[in-house]
Amino acid sequence: MPQPHSLSKRQLSDIDPQWAWETWTPSKEEPWDSQRVRLLLRRGGFGASPKLVARLVDQPHDATINMLFGESPIQRDQDRFEEDSTQLLAAVRAGGSIQRLAAWWVHRMINTPSPLIEKMTLFWHGHFATGADKVIDTDLMAQQNLVLRKHATGDFSQLVHEVSKDPAMLLYLDSASNRKAHPNENYARELMELFCLGEGNYTEKDVQELARCFTGWEVRRKAFRFNSYQHDEGPKSLFGNNAIQSGEEAIDQVLAHRALPTFIARKLFRFFICDEPEPSAELLEPLAKVWKESNHQIEPVVRRILASRLMLSGWSAGQKVRSPVELAVEFVNSLDMTTNLDRLAQGLSVIGQSLFHPPNVKGWDGGRAWINSSTLIGRANLLVDLVQDAKTRFAGQDLNQWVKQQGITTRQAWGKTLEESLLAVPLTDNERTSWESSTKEAIGWKEMLVRLSQNPKLHLS
Amino acid sequence: MRRRSFTKSTLGSTLGLAVGSATPSGWLQSASAMLAQDASGEGQGRAGGNDDRILVVIQLSGGNDGLNTVVPYRDEIYRKARPELGIPASDVLKLNDELGLHPSMRSIESLLSSQRWSIVQGVGYEAANRSHFESMDIWHTCKTKKERSNSGWIGRWVAEQPARDTTDAIAVHLGAEQLPLACQERGVQIPSLASLEQMRLRSKSTDSMQPQKDQQSNLVQPPQEKESNEPGLLDFVSASTQAALEVSERLEKVLAAPDATGDFPGSSLGEKLRAVSRLILAGVRTRVYYVSLDGFDTHANQPQAHAGLLRQWTEALSAFLKKMQDAGQQERVLVVTFSEFGRRVAENASQGTDHGAAAPMFLAGPLLTNVLHGVNPDLSKLEDGDLRYSIDFRSVYAAVLESWLGTPSNKALGGDYSETGRALRLFS
Repeated sequence: MPQPHSLSKRQLSDIDPQWAWETWTPSKEEPWDSQRVRLLLRRGGFGASPKLVARLVDQPHDATINMLFGESPIQRDQDRFEEDSTQLLAAVRAGGSIQRLAAWWVHRMINTPSPLIEKMTLFWHGHFATGADKVIDTDLMAQQNLVLRKHATGDFSQLVHEVSKDPAMLLYLDSASNRKAHPNENYARELMELFCLGEGNYTEKDVQELARCFTGWEVRRKAFRFNSYQHDEGPKSLFGNNAIQSGEEAIDQVLAHRALPTFIARKLFRFFICDEPEPSAELLEPLAKVWKESNHQIEPVVRRILASRLMLSGWSAGQKVRSPVELAVEFVNSLDMTTNLDRLAQGLSVIGQSLFHPPNVKGWDGGRAWINSSTLIGRANLLVDLVQDAKTRFAGQDLNQWVKQQGITTRQAWGKTLEESLLAVPLTDNERTSWESSTKEAIGWKEMLVRLSQNPKLHLS
Repeated sequence: MRRRSFTKSTLGSTLGLAVGSATPSGWLQSASAMLAQDASGEGQGRAGGNDDRILVVIQLSGGNDGLNTVVPYRDEIYRKARPELGIPASDVLKLNDELGLHPSMRSIESLLSSQRWSIVQGVGYEAANRSHFESMDIWHTCKTKKERSNSGWIGRWVAEQPARDTTDAIAVHLGAEQLPLACQERGVQIPSLASLEQMRLRSKSTDSMQPQKDQQSNLVQPPQEKESNEPGLLDFVSASTQAALEVSERLEKVLAAPDATGDFPGSSLGEKLRAVSRLILAGVRTRVYYVSLDGFDTHANQPQAHAGLLRQWTEALSAFLKKMQDAGQQERVLVVTFSEFGRRVAENASQGTDHGAAAPMFLAGPLLTNVLHGVNPDLSKLEDGDLRYSIDFRSVYAAVLESWLGTPSNKALGGDYSETGRALRLFS
């Protein structure tokens, strides 16, 4: 494996914001290679098979970025995938099982021709976190998931307006029962604290006033309904602006708040670039500017991040802890596996990321919070379960055939393939030696894979 | 064509894998605790007798409605503010002429009659924050918003404990949620266990793959083999992995012994406290256990939900202490319960309550003095619709760390609350 790039030694605080967000271009020192392909596919998607990686290395690097956004040259693939997925979803919605809905989403993550859309849908699920435990209705959770996907890289303003009237969200944050006589502050508070502005950018009075704007926003027969009898028609004031009447106007006020672009940029930065440390306001400023200039469009800022020098110079490699979804789905994709998706989705909940069940309205904290004694044992167990599952195939074959097909004949060669496909950070020589060597003859391809499940580097992205 | 399809879940057979560990089996002491300077162990507050005392912290997440937990059943303002949600005087479990407990807390009656139950009234902090996350962070870190911190009071307490003659972890979090900020501190590894059973390493199950003891055959590298000078994510996941494998090994032994915990409520808190008792009865020398019960954010349809939660909490708690008593361990264990805030005095229109401020804390165990400490907040003197605090939560923490665990509290709490803690006279 190539040496880690020299930039990796540099502190985040020493990085020039202008340099960071300029578009990366390949050079002699920083060629477009398989490591960069894999980094981009990990961050912008959920990894890829060795075959796809090899194909993308041979194309210009913006082809990979375009591919992430679903700009596939073959529209047929896209259509066929959506057709399949829609059919599966109809069956899941009819059955009403939330576990099946989670498995349906994992199926999308693995098979989608537009990985970034799924990745951003997951981002928004953690952002506009809504828990099925309280909503109870699987159909409404599915409906919300479609809203998040529709606007995943689209218009943030529209996304917020739709989420504010989304039945699952209304039920989750009690705005469904927000009455004129006693406003319920739950949605109003979280809209500002967690969805748009961050704590410290509004007052308690703003929360109370905003709650009044949302009075009468209800759910009736699984759909949003405005109940004018319960709407507080009195004068309201938000951020010192007195002319607010409706909930829609109030949302527009929140969206126009000057704290919003940096608030979202900070979250995207952490999602795509690194878990820690916190970026400075100066480093985020260019991203906030893109956001403002595009009038709250999500795609331009995400494109800027993915195509940036900060991303592709290699600085960000290994700077994130893989979420459970990333760990499991990248594992499956990188080994070209087909496997038991119900088991995979179920396994995610054991290690802290049950889809449709975020821990609370703040979503998953991510970073170091993914890691503890239980989740580490659980992560190793889940990967082992996937490898051992009777339904698991590698490019349609059993593992021995697949390894053979790739021309691999030694433990060293198999180790190199696994290391490159699965790890963001190279093994040390010691680790590699103790992994590849064994006194036991019986240790074969599968056993090496299983043993890798206990290596800490597997948890970095 | 669909490349991958849904398949039915089947239990795959598991193959073993080599897990080797050159270190003795047992739970990792935190590195910093090993290196702690203060290894003398002869300070005033460190009487040997306190060393085997155990603290169990129960966190009620979401903001427990303190006013409907310890009910001022005679108060006219309470009646007016809670026309729908008020607990009728005839229903409360009367503590005195003014206060009574929510009727679903009946299971603690024996604790009350044996003087093993205390209520600290009106607990909070200056400038109450009504965000769950911010307020919980304040309770966990003991720092207000401005002096943000990444470490919690139990994490810092662990960091300053001297080396012990055991490798059992000094503090453990039990629960599927992430490790609470209260238990975090750089360089300290407090194990977080979703359940005891989930700590079993599946791939270890066949003996044929067990390595020789002297062989460093697992993939975890000792922490000194660093690749950069800055302790970063890699160091963190490496240290965590090593700790996890050792905890797993120790728990294999605990789980191999017969389970003597007997009957416990089947609720989630009941299961957690059953696990805690299993560890205590197996002689594991952990001193602090941290568990939580979620769901107290009762913005709507509060009556049934709140009653169910209070029942789950008190039933699990009394079953746990009964178990300790049956095993002759009752003098070793103190249980402290808190929530990030109380709820607004006035109910809302959805038969619920919104985020509030001050609320009671609860202690259960030996050596308690009175049932009631402090004064019940005055409902005629509200602050922005909320109860005003009179006791800072850090004073309660200080009393627990010093008088119960017998350890200093200043570093853990990031301030001097010893005196105010002692003044509470919580323990005899």
